[in-house]
Amino acid sequence: MADIKKYGFVIDPRRCIDCRACLVACRAEWNTPPGQTRIWVHTDGPHGEFPAVTQTWVPVQCHHCEDPWCVDACPTGATFKREDGLVLIDEEACIGCGLCVNACPYQVRFRNKETGKADKCNACFHRVERGELPACVATCIGGARLFGDFNDPESPVSRAIKDQVVYRPITPEVDTGPMTFYLAPPDASAVQVSPQPRKDLPAEVFWRKWAIPIVKLAVGATFLGQAGAFILQLLRGENEYEDGAV
Amino acid sequence: MSDQPLEKFPRLNRRKFLQAAGLAGTGVAIAGSGLHDIRRVEAGGSVGHLPGSYADKIVPTLCEMCVWRCGVRAKVIDGVIEKLEGNPDHPHSEGYLCARGQAGLMMTYDEDRVLDPLMRVGERGSGRFRKVSWEEALDYIADKMLKIKENFGPEAMIFSSTHNLSQPLFENLLYGYGSPNYGTQRSLCFNAMVTAHLLTYGIEEPARRYEGMNYIILTGRNLFGGISTSETRALMQRIAEGAHVVYLDPRFSETAAKAAEWLPIKPGTDSAFILALIHVMIRDELYDKWFVSQYTVGFDELAEGVQEYTPAWAAKITEIPEATIYRIAHEFAENRPNAFAHPGWRTSNFINSFHTERAIAILNALQGLCPQQGDCMFLSEPAIPLGKPPQPGYPPIRAARLDGVPWKYKFVPPKLGVFQELRDAILTGEPYQAHGWFIARQNPMMSLPERQKTRAAFQKLGLVVVMDIIMNDSAWYADVVLPEATYLERYDPLHAVGRRVFLRQPVIEPRGQSRSALWIYKQLGERLGLGDYFQYEDEEDYLRQQLKPWTEQLGVTLDQLKQTGYFDVPDGYEGPTYRWDTPSGKVELASETLRNAGYDAIPRWYDPPEPGENEFYLLTGKVGQHTQFATQNNAYLYEVRPTNQLWMHPAKAAERGIANGDRVRVTSPAGSVEIEVWLTEGIRPDCVYLTPGFGHESRGLRKAFGRGASASDLHLTFTDPISGGQALTQTFVTVEKV
Amino acid sequence: MSDEVLTLEQRRKLQEQVLVKHHLANILTHWFNVAMWLLLLPTGIGILLEKTYPASSTAWNDLMRQIFGSTASLIYWHGVWGQIWLAVLTFNIFIGFRKYFLTFASTRMLLDKDDIRWLMIKPWHMLGLRKHVPLPPQDAYNAGQKLYSYVVVVGSFWIGLTGMIMVYSEHIPTSWQWVIQWAMPIHFLAVGITFSGVIIHVYMGAIFPEERQAFFSMFTGKVNGLYAYLHHRKWYLRKMAEKAAWEAEYRRRYREPAQVEASSTATARPGAAPAEAPGGD
Repeated sequence: MADIKKYGFVIDPRRCIDCRACLVACRAEWNTPPGQTRIWVHTDGPHGEFPAVTQTWVPVQCHHCEDPWCVDACPTGATFKREDGLVLIDEEACIGCGLCVNACPYQVRFRNKETGKADKCNACFHRVERGELPACVATCIGGARLFGDFNDPESPVSRAIKDQVVYRPITPEVDTGPMTFYLAPPDASAVQVSPQPRKDLPAEVFWRKWAIPIVKLAVGATFLGQAGAFILQLLRGENEYEDGAV
Repeated sequence: MSDQPLEKFPRLNRRKFLQAAGLAGTGVAIAGSGLHDIRRVEAGGSVGHLPGSYADKIVPTLCEMCVWRCGVRAKVIDGVIEKLEGNPDHPHSEGYLCARGQAGLMMTYDEDRVLDPLMRVGERGSGRFRKVSWEEALDYIADKMLKIKENFGPEAMIFSSTHNLSQPLFENLLYGYGSPNYGTQRSLCFNAMVTAHLLTYGIEEPARRYEGMNYIILTGRNLFGGISTSETRALMQRIAEGAHVVYLDPRFSETAAKAAEWLPIKPGTDSAFILALIHVMIRDELYDKWFVSQYTVGFDELAEGVQEYTPAWAAKITEIPEATIYRIAHEFAENRPNAFAHPGWRTSNFINSFHTERAIAILNALQGLCPQQGDCMFLSEPAIPLGKPPQPGYPPIRAARLDGVPWKYKFVPPKLGVFQELRDAILTGEPYQAHGWFIARQNPMMSLPERQKTRAAFQKLGLVVVMDIIMNDSAWYADVVLPEATYLERYDPLHAVGRRVFLRQPVIEPRGQSRSALWIYKQLGERLGLGDYFQYEDEEDYLRQQLKPWTEQLGVTLDQLKQTGYFDVPDGYEGPTYRWDTPSGKVELASETLRNAGYDAIPRWYDPPEPGENEFYLLTGKVGQHTQFATQNNAYLYEVRPTNQLWMHPAKAAERGIANGDRVRVTSPAGSVEIEVWLTEGIRPDCVYLTPGFGHESRGLRKAFGRGASASDLHLTFTDPISGGQALTQTFVTVEKV
Repeated sequence: MSDEVLTLEQRRKLQEQVLVKHHLANILTHWFNVAMWLLLLPTGIGILLEKTYPASSTAWNDLMRQIFGSTASLIYWHGVWGQIWLAVLTFNIFIGFRKYFLTFASTRMLLDKDDIRWLMIKPWHMLGLRKHVPLPPQDAYNAGQKLYSYVVVVGSFWIGLTGMIMVYSEHIPTSWQWVIQWAMPIHFLAVGITFSGVIIHVYMGAIFPEERQAFFSMFTGKVNGLYAYLHHRKWYLRKMAEKAAWEAEYRRRYREPAQVEASSTATARPGAAPAEAPGGD
């Protein structure tokens, strides 16, 4: 039993029947505004021609990545990665700027219409802390969604991937270390499964390319300037009579 | 008299919604606090939204979003139901809830709930009501019912209800009043399955066991769309463990996607397929000889009768290859005892569906799925006896039932009935005219085929009373609407599942003026002079009376039950062992009962009707996010499935110049609807499919109104004379671009 | 430095004169500003995580969060102080608009020809070069100080506006989210530029020996006449004229016995520069 946990998900698309209980459970748990959701079930298909038809469903949630781009993008640490691996949002600190929403290559984040803050799956951390499973996992009838501690070899997720071929949702361009492992090839056409490289927002570009260098220059130059002047002053010495102070 | 427009609630979010309605002392400082709450963030996580799991109270109860009645644990915060979880102690949920179960709390907090008794002030169907007190409503109903009884006889009053836990009290009203006219939804659903198994095994609903099963034949029964939580889970578990599922369905449903074999069988030909399997099992001597000789009658007659039903013959009819049929028969037999054919669920497809069900029942008998298993797959569980309040016997019923049971339909159990016949009898006035209809938690305006006829039937009646939680379509057309409390707000009689007896109890006090059925029936009963049939003070008193034998034997009290949600009946209790409740005491492969009634003793093939050249079969089915016509207005379920579309094969669409997403007109002899089309390879080209439940006409359902279309506008009424089952797939339609 | 040589007597007389450079309102506002900056700047740079937006250091980020308990709390207090800062300044400016701000702005902020020329000469003087070129006379604030005032006003405006956007960001709809996104770097840039100005201002005001009088005037409000005459000639002359005018009015109203008749009415004070007519505005 490891002391440090490493939480993550295992998804078996073969077991998902598109019942959408997970979507409703998450909505009920978190009161997400209508029209917004923290998790998805993607439909892959139907493919083929009658009667040789196939179809799969792929559940998706935030992957609580090992190297989360969203955490990097946040200027204040309002979103952060916990020691146990969960990537969380402190809504009281968040100002809803949306840099993190833009940064996520899986586009699993959104700005909550009602609170104005960034929002996403948080693995129902409060349930996990009490020994319950995340709401979507707990209610999954097909058993397609699994959650647990990968540092614990006896956890459901560790056992599920043991000796299995697993598919991690990464591409050659984008590898954030997503902590979701699929037991069957998931639908690569869904953005949340196959990540897209992201571009900085114009405000971010301005910040990095202009604001920071200008401020560094301005503060540096003025500081050095005054330091230099001070040195000159020390060299020159003061003459209180000349200055009219006395 | 002023109209009472239904109250508008400003927000969908139930917590904010309750604040706006001034109802909840929610006083939770956390929600929406923003930057002005400097309370330390708990464990660095988000507390801006109060998640449902921070419950201060957890109440065990039973779901009612469908007939499966999973156990539920309701989480309450500050008097608001925030989240529902499956109850691990309940064998139907095992701790899981489907989408509808999870969404149940939004039935309680639906903006469009009826929270006061209403009486109609405008035309029927105008939606103009005024709020009245319970006194006024019940007095009015009782008065009219007594007048109907006096002038036309009690049989002029129809009582219908979708079966639920308070059914015994509903039946007290019905039979105490003296009417034989009992309508349930069963003939739109179960009847073929039930009558066939009654006649074969003497039980209505056979148990299904999945543990260890390697080979399963599903004839329809889309378990992954028409979800029954524990059964759906069990099937998925077996599939994951390698079970081979053969699934027959003209359309590629969720189950088709998971089955090892999807057989897109021609509609109406299931019986041919099963009869061919029986033929092969007999011809190749694959059946369980010992079981057949010990526990069945009529084998020789059966063997003779199926001789013509060869795989080659069946292949032509079903459009499934001969080799496939042959192979499946052999694989099915080879996997004995770990192979069974699912008995079916909604079997209201064709008039020949009764024979399909008889054939399935017999196929399983040939597998001998009983003593070798240790327990029998096809025996139902013994009923746990419960106490009940004393009541007198019912008065004798003079009149025949309007729905033809049993004078037209010999084999239909009275408590199932033939619902569509009831409706038709109102219109024809034969054998006598009905004058009133009391509808409890049911929506015949949408569920019966030929909606136009149902509307006309309502108009013919002097009294229409609907007991419901929202302004559903039947309520929209009613004279009096009685607000029942939702399942999360009421007590219902105890419910036994196996050896475990469960309690449904209120999680919160009923909102508004809504009340439980136990209360409503008693109040109405007393006004009708039927107080003796409702000898309980209140709901808790009724439950104590039910519990009485077990309180004496085991010391179980109602207060204990409220805590745990259930109690167990100990193992010492004996039920019946292998005994089939048939005239012969054995499994009847050939049924004398049927023969004596003038029908085939063994299952036979009857050609179903087929669509004409430009026509399609109109298929119906289920989705996992809705329950019939009841849930389309539920905010959470509406979110995940707001409407329906017509499934159509691309080739047929192209022929008609229809592109994906186009609006089309679907026309049958009964009427026509307009709907958006969804093109898919996952359906037979000669079929189209429409998910039921949409196309609500009640403006009292502000989300659901006008969304999608209802097949009840299209369905013609065809009734199987043996089972009374509706043949919902015998209506053929044309489709054209709008 | 002075553009002409005063006699020691003149110098002494000037030194004894007292002029009020800053009224109480100015002083309080100034120190209020300082105090708020002392709260806002450390917390502000603490908020920005160094790893992506290097304003401070990881150690400072952690320390700030430790002191305030959490990121949310740190941001909250920064926002509270920011709003207090903005509210008081706005209040002061609006309430004191006519009497203080307008006068202040017109004489101490607008650049004139003398200012422009001063700006071209002064940098050489700072490096110790071209000492022979005299500086044009300056008003209450010299041109450098006037430029600084622009930085402060413009900077404070943008800091305040973007700050308010961020504090009340939850009310901004998602389609206008770009406003919040831009508010952050603009806030950062405005603070940075203003702070650069502050660095100069602190040096020039507190450390540079020539401005010793000015520094103390930020407490007492007062400077001596010599300092005023040497460094802020136009202001000095205007103040003398003001005083003379006030005294004349006083005499007229209360019929004070006439003082010694001087050659000109307006410059009846000893120590006035004899050769200069009252000038300035």
